[in-house]
Amino acid sequence: MLLKDIRDYQILFLGSFLVLGIGTRDWTLHPELIGVVIASCLSTQWILSKLNSQEPEQKLNLRSALITSLGLSLLLRADHWTTMMLAGVSAIASKFCFKVGDKHFFNPGNFGIITALTLTSDAWVSPGQWGEEWWYGLLFAGTGGLILQRIGRWDTTAAFLGSYSLLEAIRNLWLGWTWDVYWHRLMSGSLLLFALFMVTDPRSIPNAKIGRIVWAICIASLTFILRNNFFISTAVFWSLFALAPLTIVIDWLWSSPRFAWFENIRTQEN
Amino acid sequence: MKRLRIVISSLLITVLAVLCFAPTAWAFCGFYVAKADSKLYNQASQVIMARDGDRTVLTMANDFKGEVKDFAMVVPVPTVIKKEQVRVAPPKIVERLDAFSAPRLVEYFDSDPCTEYDRVLNEALPAPAARARAGAARGSASELGVTVEARFNVGEYDIVILSAKESGGLETWLNRNGYKIPRGAKQLLQPYVRSGMKFFVAKVNLDKFEESGYQFLRPLQISYQSRKFMLPIRLGMINANAAQDLIVYVLSPKGQAEITNYRTVKVPSDANIPVFVKNEFSDFYKSMFQTSYLKEDRKVAFLEYAWDMSSCDPCSAEPLNPEELKQAGVFWLDNNSSNDEPFPSGFRRPPIVSSSVFITRLHIRYTRDRFPEDPIFQATSNQESFQGRYILQHPFTGELKCQAGREYKRSLPKRFEQEAQTLAKLTNWNIQDIRRKMKLTVGDLNSSWWGNFFSWLVGM
Repeated sequence: MLLKDIRDYQILFLGSFLVLGIGTRDWTLHPELIGVVIASCLSTQWILSKLNSQEPEQKLNLRSALITSLGLSLLLRADHWTTMMLAGVSAIASKFCFKVGDKHFFNPGNFGIITALTLTSDAWVSPGQWGEEWWYGLLFAGTGGLILQRIGRWDTTAAFLGSYSLLEAIRNLWLGWTWDVYWHRLMSGSLLLFALFMVTDPRSIPNAKIGRIVWAICIASLTFILRNNFFISTAVFWSLFALAPLTIVIDWLWSSPRFAWFENIRTQEN
Repeated sequence: MKRLRIVISSLLITVLAVLCFAPTAWAFCGFYVAKADSKLYNQASQVIMARDGDRTVLTMANDFKGEVKDFAMVVPVPTVIKKEQVRVAPPKIVERLDAFSAPRLVEYFDSDPCTEYDRVLNEALPAPAARARAGAARGSASELGVTVEARFNVGEYDIVILSAKESGGLETWLNRNGYKIPRGAKQLLQPYVRSGMKFFVAKVNLDKFEESGYQFLRPLQISYQSRKFMLPIRLGMINANAAQDLIVYVLSPKGQAEITNYRTVKVPSDANIPVFVKNEFSDFYKSMFQTSYLKEDRKVAFLEYAWDMSSCDPCSAEPLNPEELKQAGVFWLDNNSSNDEPFPSGFRRPPIVSSSVFITRLHIRYTRDRFPEDPIFQATSNQESFQGRYILQHPFTGELKCQAGREYKRSLPKRFEQEAQTLAKLTNWNIQDIRRKMKLTVGDLNSSWWGNFFSWLVGM
């Protein structure tokens, strides 16, 4: 049934951001590229789960594929549809290729973005295009928070945003910038989108709470270094990509049952 | 079966999406008649940033209005700059880029609806070549925690490159050495000192200035290698009491440039506006820019032009030749390019393939409260062309005898009204004033009885 699965909310929210983006942010968002990404994610998901018969939740996984494709549409820009297709296919394929046991450790959307950025010459990410209006922040935080509370992964976002903003605050204090510079740096729509919808994917991040917190702090620290020492505007994506394999180590250190959409729904219904 | 349906439908969506929306070649056409260049603004600094990888050639054209002897400029730069990395650029080069990329007014004339025909104009043209320069250096003396990394003169400028341990020392050094530093500079210098930036300090050598015979200060051009792709505009805000205009020309071998920490928004474009605007285009553009600026809450950068520099359509100025591109700092093109021969004059020219210089013209109007952080740039591979372009569509004024002609006549008042409303929306001008002005123009255009009738209708 519609909206029974938590991911339906996520699809709804990401979809409405996309509509909001096209309607009010006048970006270079092309509807045809969004169509290509959605179609390539869905078909890759379907084909690969068909080939990989051990995958039990193929029907529900189309939701994950749709979420990945919406995330890609929101964050990635490209000149050609082939690039978007590559991003979509590699995003979903990464779930089947890079896994330990039955757990994939790359965030699919993030994997797609990095693949497009490294393998093609026409992909880019526009971190500035969400602007910094406070109500966008609230909108992201509110809707994202709702989802995270329901899936119980708000700790990752809190640890990521908390440690990142702390590091930026220390830097700001040391440099002697006024605090409006600090707020301007933090109030980036792309950063919030990342923190609320990408770093929290319950299927690819560490299972234990302590593990997730350590993991999120590592990502925040690397992001901070990449952004301020190497001046990489897409630092968050590189940081998550580089540290994704750390999930395996963290899961080994702090073992905890793996997240499953079904169990979660069941516990909520109980 | 159901699954098969899903796969088939998603594949179908892909195919459809590709077929329906595959990028179509879109050529602007029309005659260029006027441009809104940087001369419109009282205080408009202009900066050219030619950048490939981590190498940058930065050209700064200052809008200094006072006595030449009072001129001093302090620019934070990412690395130590040696004498070989600094030169004086010909002032004309900034004007050339400005003219080439300025928002423009184009006009079309309706053809006789009784003998329909199409007219398409296409322009394109070759470009450029250049060479690279880069490096870094280390210097001597120190006092107040300030190190003079280099001291040299270039053209009419005396230049010092400083590095400092703390901002107080830097401020004292600048004051002792005769630079008039505004109050409050210390706080603003500190973040640049702390983040390890060097200071490029220039003042005018009066003797050399007089010798040179130049009336105005020429732009300074520096080349350096750094991952930092930003412009330190905060220092410039110290003694500004109003919004300042900054026009940045980013030249890149890839594609459009944008700002990563503010939104980059296109100026409204491709609007049909009443023909009387031809005589007041600069007022129109200023009002329109201000209206968009307020609408976007004063915290965005405006994209005014984005185009591959090998062509323009219509051209509001001659495209830059290889020599000029080199002067503008383009260093990545091969010098042996076969496109070096001079172009014939005139706007219509044969299309010649690729030059890989993409120009992005960004117009930033900034104030201290809305632009707290220095803008950081990135060159994307976005090849989409864009120009601020406003269209005048002159109605056909000849005699109309056929049925199509009568229909055309009937369609005009609606079109004029639409143009009036577009203009009012873009500029926030009073719609009644616009209608009044249009009536005059339309009246002038149409001496026939029906023409007068239209203008009366439009004026209603």
